[in-house]
Amino acid sequence: MLIEAVDLVKTFDKKDAVSGISLGVREGEFIALLGPNGAGKTTTVNMLSGLSKPTSGRIYYNSKPFTAEDISLKKQIGVVPQHNNVDRDLTVAENLRVHCKLFDINDEKKAIERALEFSGLTGHMDKTADKLSGGMKRRLVIARALLHNPRVLFLDEPTTGLDASVRRNIWDFVRTVNKQQGCTVILTTHYIEEAEVLADRVIIIDRGKIAAEGRVEPLKESVGRAALDIYTENGIETLHFADRQEAIHKLESITDEAKLRDVTLEDVYIKITGRRIDV
Amino acid sequence: MNGIKGVVYRETRVLKSRFMKTILSSSVSPLLFLLAFGYGIGRNSTVGQTGYIEFLIPGLIAMTSMNQSYGISSDINISRFYFKTFDEYLLAPCAKWEIVVGEIIYGILKGLIPVLIIFMYGYLAGAGNIPNILFVPAMLVHLIIFSMLGIMVALKVKNHGDQFAVNSFVITPMIFLSGTFYPVEHMPLAVKIIAAVSPLTYTTRLIRGSVLGTDTAYLFNFSVSAVIAAALFWLSLKIVKRIEP
Repeated sequence: MLIEAVDLVKTFDKKDAVSGISLGVREGEFIALLGPNGAGKTTTVNMLSGLSKPTSGRIYYNSKPFTAEDISLKKQIGVVPQHNNVDRDLTVAENLRVHCKLFDINDEKKAIERALEFSGLTGHMDKTADKLSGGMKRRLVIARALLHNPRVLFLDEPTTGLDASVRRNIWDFVRTVNKQQGCTVILTTHYIEEAEVLADRVIIIDRGKIAAEGRVEPLKESVGRAALDIYTENGIETLHFADRQEAIHKLESITDEAKLRDVTLEDVYIKITGRRIDV
Repeated sequence: MNGIKGVVYRETRVLKSRFMKTILSSSVSPLLFLLAFGYGIGRNSTVGQTGYIEFLIPGLIAMTSMNQSYGISSDINISRFYFKTFDEYLLAPCAKWEIVVGEIIYGILKGLIPVLIIFMYGYLAGAGNIPNILFVPAMLVHLIIFSMLGIMVALKVKNHGDQFAVNSFVITPMIFLSGTFYPVEHMPLAVKIIAAVSPLTYTTRLIRGSVLGTDTAYLFNFSVSAVIAAALFWLSLKIVKRIEP
């Protein structure tokens, strides 16, 4: 295992934000931590990246205990936070240069050129960051996190607030990082589609705990292959079926309006928690 | 040393982008104090053998440079709560003391900006004394202390409002009760006690002594300032080690 977390707990004001999360991540994997806002995803990522200390529990990188003071391990970690935390007064190149210095990158010029090319920001290097669009700022933050060639990249809600086309652009960008550069990616999201499209494995987090985990298809199959949303007077009632034939058979006996569809990860979430992922 | 390099590079770039604003904020308030206290009240007064304007200029240097170096607290506060850029320092593969030292260097550089301006005011006002070599360590220890106070306050407060409260209840009284504008020796006992616990009292004496060439128990004041600086460094480091987003 590249990363192993054992029984992580993080408490704020006597309240558990994360209460006993254990997980393992293999080298090169793309993991999605899926859950609603406030589930404990960001807190988990903060602990795994060394940004905050667990109240209890242990973290290992390659079986070696990890703490926020571990400089050699921190060099292997890249973090894309939820917030576009670029310096608005600094140019794109200066923002990248700050990171180069913090991470002691020898050939700054080459690293910055590569990052600009990869992120498609070469033509914008002398613009101040406040002049960039939301999608460009996001690409800058991701490019910055990759400057030091990390083995692990944490992406915290990378596409929140972005429109559909920019979101897909970021997905392609992140997929390339994982598949072509072999970088292990851990992404947090509350977008079902994002987790389904990108991740090799999904960890569903609810109220600070892991509610379910596994590869996308087996997780969905644990609920069924087809779902029927029945629009009743009391709201939407969803039924799950082993296959579409079974669902169609049921559909014939229903008088209310109903919609047949494939099972999604949201069905898995609802089945486990009894709630929708409200964002 | 990558932490120091990164912090100093980032902060000086930000400073460069706001350089004119920093120059203006360093120029206006000392000029107003010089006009109000120097010309308005103390034009024909003396403090011991020294003319009041001559006495005032080192006080203005101490006050304005303190304001600028302590002012890094607002910059850190904004980068911590608003832009979240301070998290980049926490994620960097460097020791936490490097972040503290980087911010101190930034505080020193920012604090030096008004020094030339006020010396220029001094010359224009006919009180243009050339400081002796002891001015260098005096300014250094002064700026180190107030940069660290800035770091501590920025990292301890929970929001901008708390920061404003610290400025109102600690920094402003410190400016007026530490001998920057008048000798503390003439003040009531309560003020003398406050002055005795204010680091600005000791650094103002150091700066004034090195500018006017007067005997101000330099070694004693420097030793007290150095002890304060060492204690603040230890506290700053403790706070930075505990800081989380």
